[in-house]
Amino acid sequence: MSFTKNKSKNADVVAYSEAAMRNNASVVEYCRTSMAALSGCTAGLLGFTGLYGAAFYIFAVTGLWGMLLVKAGSNWQQYFVSRKALLTNGFFGQLFTYVLCWTFIYGMVHVY
Amino acid sequence: MPVSVFHRLILTAGFFSLFHAAYSAAQHRSYLRLNELEFTSLPIDILIQGVASLFVIMYGVLYIAGDFKEIKASAELENKTWETYKNIPSFYTFNHRGKAFSPQYIQPTSKLHIEEIE
Repeated sequence: MSFTKNKSKNADVVAYSEAAMRNNASVVEYCRTSMAALSGCTAGLLGFTGLYGAAFYIFAVTGLWGMLLVKAGSNWQQYFVSRKALLTNGFFGQLFTYVLCWTFIYGMVHVY
Repeated sequence: MPVSVFHRLILTAGFFSLFHAAYSAAQHRSYLRLNELEFTSLPIDILIQGVASLFVIMYGVLYIAGDFKEIKASAELENKTWETYKNIPSFYTFNHRGKAFSPQYIQPTSKLHIEEIE
């Protein structure tokens, strides 16, 4: 078992379990990839074009963030180091998945 | 909470609802095309159904993805006793010489016999 140590200013040492952190990160990554694909499909079928689609992506990302925090419960510090990183991690990476599904489903529903 | 049938059902229902919304949108499009009307936006019920089913699916995915673990290194050590760490399988002894004192003990005749047993 290996530990990563995080030293804060007041020399208070908190040891985090790396395996647990990796488990949490993989769970969040799974949710985020599914969310990008599914919200892309939804944006496509609702017929969003242009900036409305980008706004819907931000809405979906924020919604997923809120749902993750609801799932983690009131003491999210037990599971995540940073709440802001949970929101912003992989934002642009998932955007490409989103645009792919968005254009595909838009073409399926609205063009043909 | 483990992955349950309930969450799978929620996920399936969400997918069906999303598919239904997509079908409705496609039908609305064909209706507009037949009546030669201009597309402005979808009817509000399809919009609401699409967004609602997205959130239903996301809820299902969230629970199917798995549980979070506590990231504090001491969290998983707190619930275990010393007995758990004392237990080292490599040092298990099954072939102790004390068994020679048992009344049921049959003495092996030679080394060859031991090799046959193994």
